[in-house]
Amino acid sequence: MDKKLEQLKKEYKNIEIPDELDFMVEKALLKGKKEKKNGYKWIAGTAAAAVIFIGGLNISPAMASTLAEMPVVGSIVKVLTFTEYKVDKEKYQADIKVPAVSELENEDLAQSLNDKYLKEGKQLYDEFMADMKELENNGGGHLGVDSGYEVKTDNDQILSIGRYVVNTVGSSSTIMKYDTIDKKNQVLLSLPMLFKDDSYVNTVSENIKKQMREQMNADENNIYWVSNAGLEDEELTELFETISKEQNFYINNEGKLVISFDKYEVAPGYMGVVEFVIPTEVISDILVSDEYIH
Amino acid sequence: MGTKNRFNHEELFTSFIRENKENFYRLAYSYVKNSEDALDIVQDSIHKAIVSIDSLQDLKTLKSWFYRIVVNTSLDFLRKHKRVSIVDAETMEFISSGSEDHYENIDLERAMDQLSPEYKSIIVLRFFEDLKIEEVADVLNENVNTIKTRLYKALKLLRIELNDEMIKGAN
Repeated sequence: MDKKLEQLKKEYKNIEIPDELDFMVEKALLKGKKEKKNGYKWIAGTAAAAVIFIGGLNISPAMASTLAEMPVVGSIVKVLTFTEYKVDKEKYQADIKVPAVSELENEDLAQSLNDKYLKEGKQLYDEFMADMKELENNGGGHLGVDSGYEVKTDNDQILSIGRYVVNTVGSSSTIMKYDTIDKKNQVLLSLPMLFKDDSYVNTVSENIKKQMREQMNADENNIYWVSNAGLEDEELTELFETISKEQNFYINNEGKLVISFDKYEVAPGYMGVVEFVIPTEVISDILVSDEYIH
Repeated sequence: MGTKNRFNHEELFTSFIRENKENFYRLAYSYVKNSEDALDIVQDSIHKAIVSIDSLQDLKTLKSWFYRIVVNTSLDFLRKHKRVSIVDAETMEFISSGSEDHYENIDLERAMDQLSPEYKSIIVLRFFEDLKIEEVADVLNENVNTIKTRLYKALKLLRIELNDEMIKGAN
């Protein structure tokens, strides 16, 4: 082979392989398989929690609107850090902040949220410790997890708490989850209960696809896995079709519905967690009431 | 039958990824030039591949199929981060003219980095990853003649002379 080419090839082969590659590849393989089998684990979990809770309180949208006429009781709900798991070693970093809601009149609701937060925080910590051990046994590497929460909305009516998990194994992945509480009525809101029927799945999905295409048109750096948007490698990716019934959402301070997707869910990794604000006029016909979203 | 087929696909895919992960990493790195982004691209590519593995008709094409995912993911990334600098032939001529003097390797490496992605992909896949010219064409979704023409051009820009056998990879 030509000397120059030989030299270039040698340089190429000398590109250093980071320690994390092994572990990251295994994680990606495992994660992909799990997702394929189970759909999104966290979302499923949230949905189940919401169902149990709503069932337990025997509450319906109709009942929620009756309750709305009662005097305001719970506008002083607070969110604070209940506990924190920390690992701080040279190569292994974990910081898991577990939130807790307090001064929520509805104690059952507070309890069920706080139990969930604690359980998931603990689980995250346990998984981190297990991963760390596995990595150590395989010759070591870097590993990090950073989890916490942010209050997305806090007004007289709505409290939206977003919790994030950032896994760092060389590169990072981010998962967001939201809980939105109606402070006046002291109920946890789910996406289905905001709408009259299931047609929201389609309406909201179509609007999101429209927004994706508009964003891609406006700026070529925006890429979403969506049809009719000039993706040259369409056959390689599963395109976004529709949101799930229990898609991650919150209600922002302007009373708008915001739909959120995790990293990799509808776009390449570099796009990170993506959010779409759904214009209220698109969904106003199918909303149960304009109390939360307006 | 269908399930079994899919199972085989996934098993094969997993071992293929494990065996070649360092190649994929280097390939991604050759575009983005830093470790964190290269890891991200490998991870992204595996994710995309698993999600769409059912669309893979023939396992024989697994290799070029996955290389294609890595290349496209890398290009997507570059497009997003605008780290591509495309250099015309004249500038290229100027850069590679230094290759006679003391700094030969540095200039050569720089010349390589200055190649536009479409040229660079071909050099990397054909000579560093040792794919045959037909496979390169498959990965880049072009016909063999187009790839050959570009390859000659790329080698010329790098001032490298090869015989025909070397070009085709008839090994």
